Amino acid sequence: MLTGIVLAATPCLLPAQSPVPPSHGSTGLDPALLLKPTPDSWPLYHGDYSGKRHSHLSQITHENVGKLTLAWAFQTHQAAAIKSSPLLVNGILYFTVPDNIWAVDARSGHMLWHYNKPTSQGDHIGQRGVAMYKDWLYFTTPDAHLISLNAKDGTVRWDKVVADVNQGYWMTMAPLIVDNHVIVGVSGDFDNLTGYLRAIDPETGDTQWQWNSTPPAGTPNGTTGGMTWMTGTYDPALHLVYWGTGNPTPVLNGATRPGDDEWTCSIVAINPDNGKLAWGFQASPHDTHDWDAVETPVLVDGIFHGEQRKMLMQTSRNGYFFVLDRVTGKSLLTTTYGPTNWALGIDKMGRPVPNPAKEPAPDGRLIAPDESGLTNYRSPSFDPNTGLFIVDAHPSWSLYFAKPADGNYGWAGADYNLWGKSVIEAIDYQTGKIRWTHEVGGGSGAGVLTTDAGLTFTGDSSGNVLALDSATGKTLWHAGTGASMQSSPITYMLDGRQVILAGSGGVLFAWTLPQGP
Amino acid sequence: MKRVHKRARLAAAFSFILISALTLRAQTGTSPDKAGAESYANHCAICHGEQREGNLPAFPPLIGIKRQLTDDQIIALIHNGKGRMPPFPKLPHEEVASLLQFLGTPAMMEAVAKPEPAHGSGLAEAGRALFQQNCAFCHGRDAMGGESGPDLTRSKLVLADVKGDKISVVVLNGRPEKKMPAFNFSSQEVLSIAAWIHEQVAAAEAHKGGRRGVEVADLQTGNVEAGRAYFNGAGGCTKCHSATGDLAGVASRYEGLQLEERMLYPEGAKSHVTVTLASGEKLTGVLVYHDEFTIGLRDATGNYRSWPARKIRYTIDAPADGHVALFDKYTDDDIHNLMAYVQTLR
Repeated sequence: MLTGIVLAATPCLLPAQSPVPPSHGSTGLDPALLLKPTPDSWPLYHGDYSGKRHSHLSQITHENVGKLTLAWAFQTHQAAAIKSSPLLVNGILYFTVPDNIWAVDARSGHMLWHYNKPTSQGDHIGQRGVAMYKDWLYFTTPDAHLISLNAKDGTVRWDKVVADVNQGYWMTMAPLIVDNHVIVGVSGDFDNLTGYLRAIDPETGDTQWQWNSTPPAGTPNGTTGGMTWMTGTYDPALHLVYWGTGNPTPVLNGATRPGDDEWTCSIVAINPDNGKLAWGFQASPHDTHDWDAVETPVLVDGIFHGEQRKMLMQTSRNGYFFVLDRVTGKSLLTTTYGPTNWALGIDKMGRPVPNPAKEPAPDGRLIAPDESGLTNYRSPSFDPNTGLFIVDAHPSWSLYFAKPADGNYGWAGADYNLWGKSVIEAIDYQTGKIRWTHEVGGGSGAGVLTTDAGLTFTGDSSGNVLALDSATGKTLWHAGTGASMQSSPITYMLDGRQVILAGSGGVLFAWTLPQGP
Repeated sequence: MKRVHKRARLAAAFSFILISALTLRAQTGTSPDKAGAESYANHCAICHGEQREGNLPAFPPLIGIKRQLTDDQIIALIHNGKGRMPPFPKLPHEEVASLLQFLGTPAMMEAVAKPEPAHGSGLAEAGRALFQQNCAFCHGRDAMGGESGPDLTRSKLVLADVKGDKISVVVLNGRPEKKMPAFNFSSQEVLSIAAWIHEQVAAAEAHKGGRRGVEVADLQTGNVEAGRAYFNGAGGCTKCHSATGDLAGVASRYEGLQLEERMLYPEGAKSHVTVTLASGEKLTGVLVYHDEFTIGLRDATGNYRSWPARKIRYTIDAPADGHVALFDKYTDDDIHNLMAYVQTLR
């Protein structure tokens, strides 16, 4: 990616004197910087547009990572776990839990302001972070509003309804800024609703375009669903936004929506100027197991089987790892990365073929993975140096039921997890082979960050934050944080020091190498 | 836009109460009712709402509070505070009495207290809002099961619950082994959630047939003899279990989905660990904690002990792993047959 080239060309020990100075010492963010983030920033949900969650910083190394120590911890005093990926712009961190935003000085961890506006409607399952454009932040709420706030003090500039909470929509996602578009997606699985992406004017809050992933409810033999609840990625050269869409509805009963149910459980390429679909690829045609394909569409430029390619990679919730040509959307590789038992094979287009005998049934079907999937919202990372796609995986088994009495609205069935565990897996993207596996316990794992020093930062289900060797998966450092990490770590340079920032429970921890008194 | 309208209404109601309170203050010989309303507006409304509707999730509604707490309990709360609630130790006796009287009056503006069509008490209604925000994602919007959470309207624990006595334990402590987080609700908030869940139990019972869920009758598609053969043969079940020993009567203790789930993986089954210290000393106990850095066990006397994993040698005996090894071997027929057989073990 562009960003990779720019950052790789600069020496790694880059303190504040970054190639592009922070925009005139103000709080604001020049949108052009999104194309080439400086080492002292993390201005997008994924850090850059590629979604690789790989940093070129290398001050923290194999040799010194064992000395990593706490710079500061920030207490939100909230029961809600931090599921957001913080932004860092001009020395200020912005991160969230539902209904709350904090602006915190990245040097000291002290709070600058706190936006706290309880909403009484909508699902409060999580909040994944804000987006920033010039002096403004963009924040989605459980009752499906998009709020624009002044980054200086957290005051609200405008508040727009994106979807109707009374119909069953809610929002958790971090918006994606592309040029002068604030791109937002929606959530809502308990009703038969159309999923969509919407572009909103960053200044006025007016809608610029909307792309619907499914036809309107009530369309004969049509599906609903295809929610767009995770942040996509963007290729400036192709000028395409890549986004994952969620499962169809009714969720567990596919009888009223025969066929593939496009574009649910899909990766879609969208023109950010007009919302037109360039191509779509279905990770799960005719899904009946709630397996959203919203996991990060990671954009990688490199060699695939001897040929230079613009690729898109996804470890999908349904248990399959996909490598696509992101110019055309054509499949390069489809393989599983853990136990799956629901497909008959892979079709000519590289899509798994669902086994009708594994659709939910009145007497139950044993299914792998479980409904949470082989991975979920926690970010994977692509390490260009080892060619490894490193992901928090969840091998698991469950029972799926559906019967006519369950109807054809919303969930329309029932499913029960039987067993699962979590592992961090490193997948060779050219073969799909698992290069190494690191067990992280019976609960959920954590998001993954890799660095040019060959380090992988993640967490285990007991609440340890971990530094692993990217090449082998061996543990190099750990610290107990008291709660498992529900987010994905980020890293940046500040005052000449590399910081690893990760939330656990309601606390944000900043780790760095020891400094003087 | 609905939200904006509601705020405007609230603001209007608030100024009305302020004006009323100011007017009242200017009067002499106010009735206890009005004095109570005034006291409420001065001390309570800022958190609990002008109409006692609460401001969830932080501040519980007080509508119907006298049905939940005795006067003495309310007085103690007022005087001592609790959690986020500040104490009001100096409130004169007469004012507390009139406030108590006011808290017993019916809500003035039902519409504000119930933003959506409501079916039950103010308490359950408050619980509904909390449930939608915090519980619905896993347990379903109607509490009948959703992503990863069980149907609460069929939960034995819920059915045995009386005014939150059992539900509160689960909500406040969570069920870490089943990935349910603990929630830091006030006792009033938990009560309201429990009240709403009980309303859903009643609603579910009134709508049999149209609801999802797994009936015992759904799980009767297997063949007993084939299940017996699997139990004694391909399944390898007899390596650990005996139909006349540990599993005798198992179908009397569990039934339906619960039996099938336990058959496939016995949630919460204990593992044992044997630790060999550097000195050569050996200790055995129930494995209580295990990550890649620390091993913790509880010994036969109930004491907890732990060690750095790299300083000891240890072996873990996890009998439930035998169930995990079967997952990729079962056919669905194997499971249904095995279930048919296990159901004969009464």
